[in-house]
Amino acid sequence: MNVPSCHSPLAWDTLLEYWLGELEPEAEARTEEHYLGCAGCSGRLEQLAALAREVRAVARTSGVNMVINDQFVRRLAESGLQVREYRLPLNGSVNCTVAPEDDVVVARLEAPLEGVKRVDMLYVDSDGRPQMRQEDIPFVADSGGVVFSPGIDALRALPATTLRVRLLAVEDNGERTLGEYRFNHTPSPS
Amino acid sequence: MCRRAEYAADMSFPEPASPPDDAALAQRVGQAVPATDPEAEAELCRRLAPRVRLYGLRHLGNEAAAADLMQQVMLLMIERLRAGALREPERLASFVFGICRMVVLDLRRGHARRERLLETYGEALLPPEAPPPNPDHKRLAHCLEALPERERTVLLLTFYDDMPAETLARELDLSPANVRVIRHRGLARLRGCVTGESR
Repeated sequence: MNVPSCHSPLAWDTLLEYWLGELEPEAEARTEEHYLGCAGCSGRLEQLAALAREVRAVARTSGVNMVINDQFVRRLAESGLQVREYRLPLNGSVNCTVAPEDDVVVARLEAPLEGVKRVDMLYVDSDGRPQMRQEDIPFVADSGGVVFSPGIDALRALPATTLRVRLLAVEDNGERTLGEYRFNHTPSPS
Repeated sequence: MCRRAEYAADMSFPEPASPPDDAALAQRVGQAVPATDPEAEAELCRRLAPRVRLYGLRHLGNEAAAADLMQQVMLLMIERLRAGALREPERLASFVFGICRMVVLDLRRGHARRERLLETYGEALLPPEAPPPNPDHKRLAHCLEALPERERTVLLLTFYDDMPAETLARELDLSPANVRVIRHRGLARLRGCVTGESR
C-alpha cells in the first residue's frame, strides 16, 4: 500500500543537522514530529542514516584512500581495529607491509606546513613518473604533517615495490615540494 | 495487529497515491473497539515502525535499543488507540512523538514496559526488527573515492562518529560554516553518485 507524499519536505541539510544533533531543541522537536508523520521525509532520513552507516563501514574496512587526522586514527584504534601506523620524517623512507590481521594502514608524513594554503599529494612510481594526484587535501597547518590511509585491498594487491609520495605546496606563483617520502613495500608472507 | 513484515528494500521515494492516510487508519483502530481492525493496525505499524526506529537510532545510538523502542512504541500506540486515547486523529504524529519521548525516558531509566506489553499482546504484535538494507558497499566506496579530497575526508569523519560541524571544524582547523559547505556539497555529490542521478 502506498502512502501520501509530503507537501513540505524537510531539506537534506535539516535532516543531516538533525541526525548529527546540531539542531536547537525546538527545531529538533519540530523535525521529529514532522517525520514521524511523514513517509517522504522519514524515507529520506532513512536514506541518510543508511548512507552514514555505509560510510562508517567503508572507513572501518579501509575501503578507500583517506586523508585523515591523528584523532581519527586514535578513534579507529579505540574501536578495536588493528591499525598499522608508519611515521615518516621529512623526506624519509620506511620499509612497510600489510599483515593479514591489519584492518587499516596509516602513514604520517612530517612536513613544514606553516603558512601553506593548499597541499597536493602526488604519487610517483619507482621510475619517477607521476601516477596520481590528490588535490587540495585537508591538513592542519600546525600539526606538522599529513596523515593518510590507502585503501587496504589495493595495498594487499601490491607486489614488492617502492612507492614515492610527494607533498606539494600550491601557491599563487606555482608549486614547491614540501617533502618526498619513500615506501619500500613488501607483501605479507602469507 | 502489527505483523512481522519486510521493509521496503529500495532507497527511492514513495510514489504518490491515494490510500487512507495515517489519521484515517488511526481512526479505524479507535472506532473498531470492542472488536479490532487488524488490517488498519498492521498498516499503521508498517508505516510508523521504521520512523520510530529512526527516532530511536538518533536518541539511543544503536540498533538494538532502537528496535526495543520501536517495539514498545508500536505496542503502546495500538493499546492507546484501541483505548480511544487519540481524540484528534490528525494529531497522530504528535501522539506518537509523545509516546517516543516517554519510552526513551523509560529506556534510559532502565524501566521496561516490554515484558508487560508482550505478555498482553504476544509476539504477533511485534513490528519488524531488521533494519533496511544498506546501499551497495562497492558502489558507495567507488562514489566516495570519486569525491574531492576535502569532501571525502569531511564525510568520512562526520559519519564515522556522527560528528557535528563544530567538533569537526576544530579537528580540521576550518570554520564550522566551511565544514557545513563542504559537507553539503559532498553529501549531494555522494547521493547523486549512489542513486545514479549525477551520471
